[in-house]
Amino acid sequence: MSKGRIIVIDDEDIVLISCQRALAPEGYDVRIVKSGMDGLKMLESEAFDLVLTDLKMPDIDGIEVLRIVKGKWPSVEVIIITGYQTVETAVKAMKLGAFDYIEKPFTPEQILSVVKNAIAHRASE
Amino acid sequence: MKTKVKKTLYSLTGKLILTIGAMMIVGSITFWYFLIYYQERELLKNSVKYSLSFVDYVKKSTRYGMLTFQQLLIQQTVEAIGSAEGIMRVRIFDSKGKVAYSSKKEEIGTILGKNDPLCRSCHSESVKPRDMQSWSIRRDPEGYRILNIVQPIYNEPACYTSYCHVHPKEQRVLGLVESDVSLSLLDKAMKRQKIAITAFVFGFICLISVVLCTILWNLVSTPVSILTQGMERVAAGELDYTVRIDTRDEMGELARAFNAMTADLSKAKKELIEWGNTLEKKVEEKTEAIRKAHEQLIHSEKLASLGRMAAGVAHEINSPLTGIVTFGHLLLKKFPEGSQEREDIEVIIEQANRCSSIIKGLLGFARATSAEKSSANINDILNSSLNMVRHKADFFNIKIVLNLDESLPSIRADASQIQQVFLNMIINAADAMDGKGTLTLSTRKVVENGNPFAEIEFNDTGHGVSEENIPKLFEPFFTTKPVGKGTGLGLAVSHGIIQDHGGKIFVKSTLGEGTSFFVRLPFYEEKA
Repeated sequence: MSKGRIIVIDDEDIVLISCQRALAPEGYDVRIVKSGMDGLKMLESEAFDLVLTDLKMPDIDGIEVLRIVKGKWPSVEVIIITGYQTVETAVKAMKLGAFDYIEKPFTPEQILSVVKNAIAHRASE
Repeated sequence: MKTKVKKTLYSLTGKLILTIGAMMIVGSITFWYFLIYYQERELLKNSVKYSLSFVDYVKKSTRYGMLTFQQLLIQQTVEAIGSAEGIMRVRIFDSKGKVAYSSKKEEIGTILGKNDPLCRSCHSESVKPRDMQSWSIRRDPEGYRILNIVQPIYNEPACYTSYCHVHPKEQRVLGLVESDVSLSLLDKAMKRQKIAITAFVFGFICLISVVLCTILWNLVSTPVSILTQGMERVAAGELDYTVRIDTRDEMGELARAFNAMTADLSKAKKELIEWGNTLEKKVEEKTEAIRKAHEQLIHSEKLASLGRMAAGVAHEINSPLTGIVTFGHLLLKKFPEGSQEREDIEVIIEQANRCSSIIKGLLGFARATSAEKSSANINDILNSSLNMVRHKADFFNIKIVLNLDESLPSIRADASQIQQVFLNMIINAADAMDGKGTLTLSTRKVVENGNPFAEIEFNDTGHGVSEENIPKLFEPFFTTKPVGKGTGLGLAVSHGIIQDHGGKIFVKSTLGEGTSFFVRLPFYEEKA
């Protein structure tokens, strides 16, 4: 039984793989997609507990993904992955309903901790 | 020589001398002419008068002889009178024109026709015979004048009642007394006098000319040449030259006016030179200011493009760093504590983290241009910055002194950016003192170029910055800290932030004594 179903959206392969390698061994069911569009499609077909999304992406950005997810599935938690320069945007994301944000580069421990909190938060509601 | 003479002739003195000289000569000649003319006329008039008296005298002397018809007596009398000095001839004519008596006996009996030059004056055909006394002048072979006097002898009762009854009563003129009087003495005297007067006039002209030349030379030519020389020297740039003419006349006045003009000119030139010098200085100052502004602009451009590049690089590098850090940590778990492999992996992770902090610095640098400004209190920002660090171990042995101007008005600034700058300054100061010393923070009001600024001074007692390093302090990636400790971006970022706020940041440092960083931020008037 998985601890939670997580979808990671980022245009960078290394970030996707890093997340998968950090979270999967800890018992999470991790799916990875390379664009916002693909992510939303997967969200339509499968149920997820948590969305991890990068802010800057080629087709639709993280803020848009957040807005759609929170619009369609309000109980699904969203965590923003950000570069340092977009802290302001991350703050804006928090206001739009994101659970938390995590700055690149992050350690496995950091991402685990944030994810754990988010899942716990979802479970409590 | 020829040109000199020509020049003198055309000069003012030359013209004056020529004009006055010519007038003198004309005047003298006129004077000379009239003097001679009148004298001659007067003398002739007197000669005629005396000659007439003389002829009258002849008439009277011979009257008795005539009345008594004593021809011999008459002839003797005429001869006697005719022998007098200056009397060339005395003749008595009868009414037929025959010489009846003459001082020259041989002429007696000759008859002069009416065409004789002597008779023509009275007996010309066109003129009615004049029975009056007359005179004429002719010249002797030597050129001296001879005065010819003719006086008629009129009939009178004694003549026609005389016993000899020579003349009828009806005859009005009985004859003529005629005499030639030599004017040679007079002419000689006149000649001498003419020579004397001419000599005098000539001498006078010469004397006057010399005097005139001398006077004009002294009054006009010399002062004019002194003035000309003065003008030439002044024109050649000798502005302190003065001409010396002390006379009270117009020349003196001209000289004084000229000296005054030269003095004014000299003063004006001095002012002009002074002005030129200050102008040069001003141009230098402006050039320096422009050069600085240009440098500043280049520096800003450099920082801006570096910022853009940093943002791009940071975004690209953060993702691979995530991979390195994540996989580093995953690998770490596979090796036991204390193993060489584990240590190596830790180094990898540590260096990746270092990369990350450099990237953060770069991004901070890139972010410095997008400030959100609002009213902010400098002292509050400084205090909060200080509170963030003072509990850190690095500050345990640092004495912090605050000299804050509480009356400092608010400024318009992005408080978080300004805090970033202040933190940077405080941490740099602590690093410079190696965690031991005094950090003095002061705030005050200053005025620069007429504009008010809030000045914040960060003074440390650290090792100071060498003079050659001061200009490099604000260059990106310049650091004196040990490798791994500083990124060299803190001051560059701070510089960018302060500049974006319209302020400035500068350093004063003495090696071994400490460093003062000054941040100046402008006061903006609060808009209502």
